[in-house]
Amino acid sequence: MRNSLMVAACTAALVLSGCSKIVEGEDGNAEVMNTEYPEQVFWGDTHLHTDNSIDAFGFGNRLDAENALRFARGEEVTATKGSKAKLSRPLDFLVIADHSDAMGATKAIMEAPRIALLTDEFLLRWHDMMNESDEGSLRVTGELIDGAAKGTLPTSLTDPEETKERTANLWTKHGKTVDQYNEPGKFTAFMGFEYTPMPDGDNLHRVVMFRDGPKKMGDTIPYGALGSQDPEKLWGYMEAYEKKTGGKVLAIPHNSNVSNGRMFAMSKFDGSPIDAAYVKTRALREPIVEVTQIKGDSEAHPFLSPNDEFADFGVAGWDKCNLSCTKDMPPESYGGSYAREALKRGLELTLAIGANPFKFGMIGSTDSHTSLATADENNFFGKHSGNEANNKTRALDPQNLGTREGRFGWHYLASGYAAVWATSNTREAIFDAMMRREVYATTGPRMQVRFFGGFDFTADDIADLVKTGYAKGVPMGGDLSGGDGEAPKFLISALMDPESASLDRIQVIKGWVDATGKSQEKIYNVSWSDADARKLGANGKLSPVPNTVDLAKGTWDNATGAPELVTFWQDPDFDSDQNAFYYVRVLEIPTPTWPVYDALKFSLTLPDSVIKIQQERAYSSPIWYTPTA
Amino acid sequence: MLRKFIREPLVHFLGGALLIFAFFWATGSNRDPAEYAISIDETDIERLKTGWVQNFRRAPTQAELDALIDQEIAEEIYYREALRLGLDKNDPVIRRRLFTKMRFVDGEESAIAEPTDALLQQWMDENPGKYALPSLYDFEQIYLGQISAADARDRINQLNGGALPSAFAQPLSRPSALARASSAEIGRQFGDRFAEQLEKLEPGTWSGPVISGYGAHAVKISAKVPGQKAALEDVRQRVVNDWRAARQAEQEEETLSRYRAQYEIKVAGRP
Repeated sequence: MRNSLMVAACTAALVLSGCSKIVEGEDGNAEVMNTEYPEQVFWGDTHLHTDNSIDAFGFGNRLDAENALRFARGEEVTATKGSKAKLSRPLDFLVIADHSDAMGATKAIMEAPRIALLTDEFLLRWHDMMNESDEGSLRVTGELIDGAAKGTLPTSLTDPEETKERTANLWTKHGKTVDQYNEPGKFTAFMGFEYTPMPDGDNLHRVVMFRDGPKKMGDTIPYGALGSQDPEKLWGYMEAYEKKTGGKVLAIPHNSNVSNGRMFAMSKFDGSPIDAAYVKTRALREPIVEVTQIKGDSEAHPFLSPNDEFADFGVAGWDKCNLSCTKDMPPESYGGSYAREALKRGLELTLAIGANPFKFGMIGSTDSHTSLATADENNFFGKHSGNEANNKTRALDPQNLGTREGRFGWHYLASGYAAVWATSNTREAIFDAMMRREVYATTGPRMQVRFFGGFDFTADDIADLVKTGYAKGVPMGGDLSGGDGEAPKFLISALMDPESASLDRIQVIKGWVDATGKSQEKIYNVSWSDADARKLGANGKLSPVPNTVDLAKGTWDNATGAPELVTFWQDPDFDSDQNAFYYVRVLEIPTPTWPVYDALKFSLTLPDSVIKIQQERAYSSPIWYTPTA
Repeated sequence: MLRKFIREPLVHFLGGALLIFAFFWATGSNRDPAEYAISIDETDIERLKTGWVQNFRRAPTQAELDALIDQEIAEEIYYREALRLGLDKNDPVIRRRLFTKMRFVDGEESAIAEPTDALLQQWMDENPGKYALPSLYDFEQIYLGQISAADARDRINQLNGGALPSAFAQPLSRPSALARASSAEIGRQFGDRFAEQLEKLEPGTWSGPVISGYGAHAVKISAKVPGQKAALEDVRQRVVNDWRAARQAEQEEETLSRYRAQYEIKVAGRP
């Protein structure tokens, strides 16, 4: 009964809101030339929420997909709380990834005529709370997240059959908007959604993105976690989509940091052991992982990597409890929560099963719920509309997504973006680059990172690194095998973001499986600024780059770092019988965090506990070495 | 105490209301019968039935329908009495709700028509900067490193005196020359700050320093193709998007001004 009422209410609300007539979008048939090899890096956000996400709307977001797209393209828009918002530089692509579960529902509940909800106490209460005040709306959203974590949401929000019609209507309208803003060669707008399983509050979320436009997608609608929380079911949906339409789709796991060890677990969702079929499907469906975003950074953790002095980035506030903070996360669970450890597990599973389920590239994205894809410290619009740039106390306010204490505003990062080396700025080229993992993550700055591996490089090849890289080796995301026992060689370059900070260093992070079958890791400093003065210690560690941050002004001195670092590197500890991966981490010199800019703007005094200085960074996708059998 | 009580505005208000009420009660006149007429017609009954069917998946019984109608009447009576008592005043929730509804109703009336080519062309002409094809540059650049402006100027003078670029060029994996590059492309390679400075440079000679995030550059522009107007066909979708977004904002503003014209608005501190 409640179900059908919900549909009625939502249909009414949709009729009310979906009134403007929309021109049929053009099919992206403009002639776009693909370059011979990926010459350009394209910048984007694969994880943005608009007012169609139940929590984003509940948090107060009133900007729709069109506003999100205009903003990403570089237009100025007015943020929900009234301030003008504009990116210093436009993005090249955007995936709007609204939650598939109960898509558009909060908007519908709030906008529904009250009389339509009178017989449903539950929804009526939410309707009234949302209409009453912003605080009421936030309370509803808290209850929603909590309810989703505990599985106590009313069936009117959770029954996929009941919500199908509403979702289909909304999805069609959304597809038209996305197509209208997709301009092949200039700006790419992708169709996508977020699959949001949260068993007991453990984060198993995936962003799902399509290579295709709404025409090919036909009547395909987003798959909800209310259908099933088991990612294998999502992969089944993806396979069915590809079979039916001839299209292509991929999934991007994210926020493994709050998955309580479950994102990269050594078992299937139901606890049974991983088998060959699971490995194959996972590797096919999930070629990339989002390792850095507003809700923390999932690359590494000091508990897992005690010898890595940079492993603590974006960890504070996020390693104590799971997404909804309904469960504490013991350090023993971290292995399944952090990407570097997952890459190592992948090697171990390769030996055990013969294939690697965790063979993924790495990207960043925002997961912003404001419709504004901002990842710059000095232009950060926050996680949700309650914390946009106008909110004076957002850096210090408690910010619990669930019901318990634990997190404060400053724990949230102004992070990150996805960098994609592609042959053109089109759906096809960017998607295909993601499939071959020729992508990298940054915490916001747009540094350009190149990483090639091969057996035939020489030190002289850095002179024409890109051409030689493609001619004689493989780019990031690729595979190496053979080499006749010789250690692989790498060509690496990092160019600073000309609008951000100069570079401290390039590191190569190697993971391998030793003779006992146990995975290991090691970090090599391979290139750094001021190389005349800064030397490697006996332990391989490098003296830190000077900190030039002036907290009173929010400035730093780029002369301390290098504009560009380029190097040739060969693995000095190579054993040709051992499976291994290599990825690159590029560190900027120290810069202020976003709370520092807030403090300057609003004359706040930040307590000592607040992290004020950080080294922003990029993570390349790995190159894997597999011994020839 | 009593004097203070008498000065309370609320007391005046209630007192006034009582007087008016007493007048109508006493005279039995001056009461608009239409304000007290309630009629539930066939359309209303259909609406109630449909609502019931949606909720319960079956038609209401006669008793249920009667109850629905009685409920409707009760609501209408309380609604009108509440309005008469002014309970809708100063209630932010009701105010915002009505604001939203009104916006919607107005938006509904003024649905945006399909733009004709003439309209789009007019819009483009009114916003020339937005759709102009950008200026294109052919230029060479030499990266001089993170050096002072004075040192950079000195090196640029030497370049113009015939010194070879290799004498000063620092390595940087950016192109040493670009052809037919728009400022957006230049911005991608060197940052927007660099791109903005090209406009002012004199062609044909090494000039600068042009400062980018990387440091100082010497730049020699060999050709500049000035920006031109774009043809509608080249940018149609973007023009339609922008026109539509602007039209919508405009319509909201127009409607509001139409209403606003009828009000005398005073804001403290505003002229």
